[in-house]
Amino acid sequence: METESAAAAAMEHLPLKMRVMAAIDESDESFYALKWALDNLFSFISSTALPETGEKSDGLLTVVHVQEPNHHFGFPAAPGIQAYYPPSEVVDSVKRAQEQKSAAILKKASEMCKEKRITAKTLILDGDPKDMICQATEQIHVDLLIVGSRGLGKVKRAFLGSVSDYCAQHARCPILIVKPPKEDSKSG
Amino acid sequence: MATAEKQVMIVAVDESEHSTYALEWTLDHFFVPLGDSCLFKLVIVHAKPSCTSSVGLAGPGAAEILPMVESDLKRIATRVLEKAKELCLSKSVSDVTLEVHEGDARNVLCEAVEKHHASILVVGNHGYGAIKRAVLGSVSDYCAHHAHCTVMIVKRPKTKH
Repeated sequence: METESAAAAAMEHLPLKMRVMAAIDESDESFYALKWALDNLFSFISSTALPETGEKSDGLLTVVHVQEPNHHFGFPAAPGIQAYYPPSEVVDSVKRAQEQKSAAILKKASEMCKEKRITAKTLILDGDPKDMICQATEQIHVDLLIVGSRGLGKVKRAFLGSVSDYCAQHARCPILIVKPPKEDSKSG
Repeated sequence: MATAEKQVMIVAVDESEHSTYALEWTLDHFFVPLGDSCLFKLVIVHAKPSCTSSVGLAGPGAAEILPMVESDLKRIATRVLEKAKELCLSKSVSDVTLEVHEGDARNVLCEAVEKHHASILVVGNHGYGAIKRAVLGSVSDYCAHHAHCTVMIVKRPKTKH
């Protein structure tokens, strides 16, 4: 009796159903982070989720992309000219280009998730990536945040990149920082 | 499916509650649900500070204190690992390797990653503010930058606000 109820409790509890958020931008490193997470973390999440109760696995993975606002305020164009305000057509076309870029990024991410048969929600936010990601983790009550890191491989001391660094310090939830693979693997 | 090549996950522990929380969180999320078929091999690493670095004294009297400090540190290290082992057993995770290495935590952890070819390094963090971080240094920060594998920083949720 004890083992049965314990097993049942364990099944209900299913702590593996943790909510994960992956932050991506157009960099390769963030896509590598998403891929790493899909390969290593989700292979067992998707196996424990029964295929019939597909709705249970919804909302487990959220892929978030933060669009930085383009500052189209005046900037000095040449000495003597105080400021240059771009015409509204330029502003609009830049905005549209940005939206297209974001859509492409999220589409690529969704395809990666579909390949692993994982349903992922996508989310586009506007603002400063550091703050928006941290806010999002709190609002959605994320259990784990996944970020890539710049990992400037040529330079001996690896740098994280300011967004990953900021999130590592300020996000309220556990954070997983995926490093890009080493180009030169000496042994093993 | 061949489970010969399990990926290695290193969890760093010290005597703080933050690392205990980190270990517990990791066990709950990555090991408990799967039992024997979990994907990772768990290695728990404790960095024992060397007694010479803990004692800032120089001069007469230092030689007498060192053995006491050393035995103290050994006792702490044993206690930390025992607590970790108990925690694992209480979650029915028995395939655990426990290691102690002497030296600065930063280097110990990064070397352990290399030695075990770990896929993930899990650390807690003390939740220091900017100033404390600048003065005391942050092991989790260092590892996040320098370890050659994915790093997971498990934070204790703040209970205040």
